[in-house]
Amino acid sequence: MSASQSAWVQGRVWMVLSLVIVCIAAAVGLARVYGVTKPVIDQQKIDAVNQALAAVLPGTDHFEEQVPGELWYGFDAQDVRTGAVVRVAPRGYAGPVETLAGVGLDGLVTGIVITSLKETPGLGLKATQAWFRDQFRGKPAAELKLDKDGGTLDAISAATITSRAVTNGVREGIEKYLDRLLPAQPGMSDTTGDE
Amino acid sequence: MNKKPSRLSYFTSGIVVENPVLILMIGLCPTLATTVSARDGFGMGLAASFVLIASNVVVSLVRRFVPNSIRIPIFIIIISTFVTIIDYVLQAYQPSLYKVLGVFVPLIVVNCIILGRAEAFAYHHGVWDSFLDGLGKALGFTLALGVMGIIRELLSAGTVFGFAVTPAGFRESPVLFMIFAPGAFLLIGILKSIVNRLTAKKEEKA
Repeated sequence: MSASQSAWVQGRVWMVLSLVIVCIAAAVGLARVYGVTKPVIDQQKIDAVNQALAAVLPGTDHFEEQVPGELWYGFDAQDVRTGAVVRVAPRGYAGPVETLAGVGLDGLVTGIVITSLKETPGLGLKATQAWFRDQFRGKPAAELKLDKDGGTLDAISAATITSRAVTNGVREGIEKYLDRLLPAQPGMSDTTGDE
Repeated sequence: MNKKPSRLSYFTSGIVVENPVLILMIGLCPTLATTVSARDGFGMGLAASFVLIASNVVVSLVRRFVPNSIRIPIFIIIISTFVTIIDYVLQAYQPSLYKVLGVFVPLIVVNCIILGRAEAFAYHHGVWDSFLDGLGKALGFTLALGVMGIIRELLSAGTVFGFAVTPAGFRESPVLFMIFAPGAFLLIGILKSIVNRLTAKKEEKA
């Protein structure tokens, strides 16, 4: 206890009042900091998403969110569709492996990027390395399978679970939205007419 | 008034003689968890340092008006306010570091170094002394975390602050073990024994 405290500091009224004052001061201070940092934080989040989107769908000027957090359409500067980006989060070895996959208008993968993962360092974490990522480029969804599953992609050694999660996750994600990834073609809408 | 310890010693004692991590052995949870790389170790150290110094100063400023019986809740509000500020600031201006440190930023609230210094030092000392004490302990904490981060990154990835400093052959197959929790325990044990040895010699001389 500080020796130099006055008697009223130890009283009951001040006990309540001091806590109230500290809380109000803290709240006011935090509100100001929040007001300054909030726009910056929001902008950071938007920038991070846009950067990742642009990385998987080259030549795109801006994106339009179709299904929140799952599907984006990309457009170039002249507002012409360049393709779409699908976000998937398949279960890896130690948690979801959040992955963005770009698909061009020809239905071929334009690139993938892993935005968040908790895999084992030195093993599953190697999924972010360029050689693994680059294998996806230029392939149709149906061909996205590991070599040991009858496909053509090399798995990361000693990290089959992670490799398979990313590969199958991207394939299934693209197949889920396949009808929306490609621009509507004339005649396509008629196919359901007879049923 | 009795002879007071010199002001400078408030500052210097935190670095070696009373190093929070290596001598007092407190604040070990963030030490073990966030020192996987030099940048993360120093980042965590600096974030905690800001909170430690700021809370020491504020606690010292208001100490005459804080009733003894409710001092702990008041300290905690002051500390958590500064933690929330550093949380927002890191999120806004260092998002990649924030992503790595994750839950350990809000957990600075319960870092026992900070409440410990508020309770043991700042509540009984003036603002300037409390500032020096906070600065010294903060420096000791940051140095310990930074050194651990450098060593663990060097051994587990072959880099320091992301720069390759070892031959490519080592970086291909580094001592991965060091990035995991057992590596952190091993390293802190080794550092502790080195510090013990050094301080023991000093005492013999004295």
